Amino acid sequence: MAIEGAEIVKAAAFIGAGLAMGLGAIGPGVGEGMVAAKACEAIGRNPKEAGLLTRTMLVGQAVSESTGIYSLVIALLLLFVV
Amino acid sequence: MGELGKLHQLIIPFFGHTITLNLEVIVMTWIVFTMLIILGLFAGRKKKILPGPIQAFGELIVSMLYGLTEDALGKERAKTYGPLVCALFMFLLLSNWLGIIPHLEEPTKDLNTTLGLGIMGFVIAHYAGIKSKGFKAYIKEYFQPIFFMMPLNLIGELAKIVSISFRLFGNIMGGSIIILVVSSLTYSVVLPPFLYAFFGLFVGTIQAFVFTMLTIVYISVQVR
Amino acid sequence: MAVDVETVVKIAAYAGGGMAMGFGAIGAAIGEGYTAARANLAISRNPKISGEIFKNMLVGQAVAESASIFALVIAILLLFLDVPVPSLLKASALLAAGISMGFGAIGSGVGSGYPGGEACFGIAKQPEIASQLTTNMLIGSAVCQTPAIFSMVVALMLMFIEFGNAPLYPTWAAYLGAGLSMGLAAIGSGYGGGLAAGASCEGISRHPKTAASVTTIMLVGQAVSQTPSIFGLLISFILMFKSFPESTSLSAAMALLAAGICMGFGGIGPGIGNGMAAEGAVRWVARNVEHAGDLMRIMLVGQAVSQSTAIYAMVVSLVLIFVV
Repeated sequence: MAIEGAEIVKAAAFIGAGLAMGLGAIGPGVGEGMVAAKACEAIGRNPKEAGLLTRTMLVGQAVSESTGIYSLVIALLLLFVV
Repeated sequence: MGELGKLHQLIIPFFGHTITLNLEVIVMTWIVFTMLIILGLFAGRKKKILPGPIQAFGELIVSMLYGLTEDALGKERAKTYGPLVCALFMFLLLSNWLGIIPHLEEPTKDLNTTLGLGIMGFVIAHYAGIKSKGFKAYIKEYFQPIFFMMPLNLIGELAKIVSISFRLFGNIMGGSIIILVVSSLTYSVVLPPFLYAFFGLFVGTIQAFVFTMLTIVYISVQVR
Repeated sequence: MAVDVETVVKIAAYAGGGMAMGFGAIGAAIGEGYTAARANLAISRNPKISGEIFKNMLVGQAVAESASIFALVIAILLLFLDVPVPSLLKASALLAAGISMGFGAIGSGVGSGYPGGEACFGIAKQPEIASQLTTNMLIGSAVCQTPAIFSMVVALMLMFIEFGNAPLYPTWAAYLGAGLSMGLAAIGSGYGGGLAAGASCEGISRHPKTAASVTTIMLVGQAVSQTPSIFGLLISFILMFKSFPESTSLSAAMALLAAGICMGFGGIGPGIGNGMAAEGAVRWVARNVEHAGDLMRIMLVGQAVSQSTAIYAMVVSLVLIFVV
């Protein structure tokens, strides 16, 4: 089985895409979970502000999710463009 | 195990292209529709001040979902979006529960159903956003914080459709695969009823609620 | 040096067995250590009921041990398995079975140590509700074993189901991917479920009257935390049962392997994050039970948002399997 250069590049791109999205998902997943945990704590302490806290939590999670979206973009680029 | 991945499809030729219909899913969706309409008719017929059991059940669900919508969107908008939220939740709930009846399957097991519902929620949320903020302010949000973040913001928005619809699909499909596999490993002894109770009733309820909540949340993020 | 197929299968089975037990022992050991540490702390605080605490510690450790017992079962089966028709494909399936079970046992083992430890500590604080705490601990740690059970199911299927005459060349990677996907994705969910269960034991010992609400929200939180491992299971089933066209190209095989790696790693973070969210909600339901509904709602929304990265990983895996 002869392996050509282009074939290796393609294989590496697939593995790279898998690793990019897989490892890239760890950080945002844990981080957003922390945000949610703290939001629960805050609502437990001050239930009157539930609406405001929910919105703040969503904004914070959206920001910390952006690194996950970067990984997604890179993974899709590796799959379809490279 | 042969049932895995078997699909009943109706393929119609259409001006050189083909339209593929997943028959089973369509039939199951219509079953859910029928059940919901019958429930609605019984709950709404002969309204009394002292409600009967079905009317009380209907009022319970409607008031709970209206309360949720009001919390997130405010009183004014809840009037517009409340019925949508109620219909969405009831449809998803019945769809996710349908699998516990023998020979019936969850329509939400098909990606097309969940993707359709996700796109519907996305379009409604963005329509609501444009209506409340005006077109200019809506477009401006994509260029926050700096203008070249536009493609990433756009992908972030589109990723919401993917995440909301694949979550429901993955959970329901995963649950039904687990039930299928464990039933065939244990020759359908003892375990399957508990698995149906867990994945069909419990996870199905939670996922229907999560999907509905997220649709409300997406609308509320766009509106404010 | 020529190696015949039979030897390769044996090598794969032994390597798989070693990995299953080696990795599988990590989690339970940490978890049980945590339980024992908390039990010691509890006894020093309230030495009069040391017998009660000791009993609870042993029960908790016995449950936490079950993940590594699953690993032991798979390892022994792999060591003494009689393969009727040795083939290279079977070799890869056996190795994947070991990987799936080994990694899959880590999270559940660590996780189910938390409820045990918190229950021991709670008994020291409130000896009169000892049986209630033990029950809650058993429910919580039993549910957080679910990802390990998923991994065991995948491992058993990889070992015992005849896959017919699938073409060796991309399929070997599909099996390895299936094992990695399930094994790694189970880590986060198992650990996260344990965090939620630990917080529920702590909460009940603080306010025993809130036990019903706390147990309910713990179960809901754990069920949602299991979603990443259910995604891992889904991907590994697709990889096992989809038939792939034969192709000797390297990229076809690597795409399938990458699909498994992507879903596997992608499930770790969201699983842990969901568990943290559930932990926060459970802890505060115990302190502020009147607002359990609000807390449950925000927990579900927070968990759903933090799952989205696992869903992106699933989408990339599906693209790798079906499109590329």
